Amino acid sequence: MSRQYYEFFCPVKVIAGKAALEHIPYELTSLGAKRPMIVTDKGVRAAGLLDPVIGACEDSGLEIVCIFDDVPPDSSTSVVRTIAALYRKEKCDSIIAVGGGSAIDTGKAVNILVSEGGDDLAKYSGAGVIKHPLNPFFVVPTTAGTGSEVTSVAVITDETKGVKLPFTSSFLLPNAAIIDPRMTITLPPHITAATAMDAMTHSVEAFTCMAKNPLSDAYATAAIKKISQFLPQVMDNPKDTDGRLELAQASTMAGIAFSNSMVGLVHALGHATGAICHLPHGLCMSLYLPYVLEYNLETIRQPLGELLLYLDGPEVYSATPASRRAEASIAALRKMRDTLYQQCELPRTLKESGKVTYDQLEAIAHMALDDGAIMFNPKEADLKDVRAVLENAWAG
Amino acid sequence: MATKHLRPLGSKAKRLYVNLMFQVMGRALQAVSEVDDEVCNEARPLPTGFLFQMMVMPKGASLVIEHVGNGRFKYHSSEAPRPIDLSIKFKHLEHAFLVLSFQEKTSVAFANDRMLVDGDISYAVRMTRILNRLEAFILPKIVAERAVKAYPPNLQLPEKLISAARIYLKVATHFIKTARAS
Repeated sequence: MSRQYYEFFCPVKVIAGKAALEHIPYELTSLGAKRPMIVTDKGVRAAGLLDPVIGACEDSGLEIVCIFDDVPPDSSTSVVRTIAALYRKEKCDSIIAVGGGSAIDTGKAVNILVSEGGDDLAKYSGAGVIKHPLNPFFVVPTTAGTGSEVTSVAVITDETKGVKLPFTSSFLLPNAAIIDPRMTITLPPHITAATAMDAMTHSVEAFTCMAKNPLSDAYATAAIKKISQFLPQVMDNPKDTDGRLELAQASTMAGIAFSNSMVGLVHALGHATGAICHLPHGLCMSLYLPYVLEYNLETIRQPLGELLLYLDGPEVYSATPASRRAEASIAALRKMRDTLYQQCELPRTLKESGKVTYDQLEAIAHMALDDGAIMFNPKEADLKDVRAVLENAWAG
Repeated sequence: MATKHLRPLGSKAKRLYVNLMFQVMGRALQAVSEVDDEVCNEARPLPTGFLFQMMVMPKGASLVIEHVGNGRFKYHSSEAPRPIDLSIKFKHLEHAFLVLSFQEKTSVAFANDRMLVDGDISYAVRMTRILNRLEAFILPKIVAERAVKAYPPNLQLPEKLISAARIYLKVATHFIKTARAS
């Protein structure tokens, strides 16, 4: 599994901890930005999560020029054009995306249009098309899972053509990611669980897939340790501010890990299941993780065994024979899922999700085979293999 | 005093090798689509007229093939008749040499950021499976195992030999036709 060559890149300034939001005015003005726009969704606004962001800026005399709070869960090119028009009309000079994956991806896409010019987002789709630095862009995540605040990709639906447009460029990376526990303290238990398992999957796949490297390994293992330690604490006590901050940091670390090492079959299956059955991404990750690890087991026995140290701690690790550590890591993840099922009924199988029918498995398998993530899975998977993983994931 | 930089001999040899391998692979892709049902089935979902390119950045050797429909490919040398739909670009000649001399698997080259994909990723995944299938046919098993992530377990020696012979015959015929035409 060792790599003779790797690349690692993360220029995002991470501003994390108590009163982190209050650093936004200083950071914006240090980039010469004076007229920020907030891009968010209605749920975030209704939960009152914008109030501390706006308050932090106003206290420093920085006016939020306008707020767009209608980003849908699956953002589109028309939404991006609408926001870009508002940005230009109000003569904004920077964007603060506040929210989960959709708000952040939308913010990235809006920044392309307002920085590069024009209204045709599709012409910037693809890898490396954007050639210039974009306008100042800050991200305030309100979930602890996607890691979008440190990734250089965005996906936006082109509703006229019915396709998803991918954008990949290091210029999409935000100037700063602001990790403040106030932003995740009100997350309901099932979203806390699903998004944390999303971050867990990012870390586990980053550590076990083909593009792993020493730097992404360091971020991945640190994230796994934090999630294993603090997710149970936060599920028991959702108002645990310190635990929330640890989970949010773990999500960012997992994002840095996987954006520099890519992911594998869990994500290929998750993307296909999300597209066909509209199952939330974090839930898909939690659901497929142990079954894919079992499929990959003999190819990833050594790195998966190492993860036991971070999943279950040094005592369990040292008490487990080296030859059984990989299986013990899978068992630890299964135990974590069982606990989450008891606490918030986070489904462990496709059947338990209640949103997938057995006859959809064939379509999921075909779509997963063509997903880019499958290229980085350590073990080659053909249709029969993918179908077998899905059979296992159907009822456990 | 200005001096002219001389390109090392090793670099010239690698350039020639990569160029030759692209010519062989382009013709072999056309041939394998006429010989193997599995490749045909993989290629069939590609749009008719779909142009696939492999090239060395910035303006090095390249191969272009077209899906002419029903799972069949046509080799276009290095000239594309229209804008390319999907391009796999090696960042440097050395990276192309590593892959085409089977020192680095295609999947590992992707993981090592040796290549860029310009176009629909799902088609790139499909084309990679086709390239893997081709390599499993035309290379000795011991070499093919170094080139692909997993050697097809159901590919038996008689099928491999017969298919390889048909592919090589078609490649040779195509080379002769090209030489006569020029």
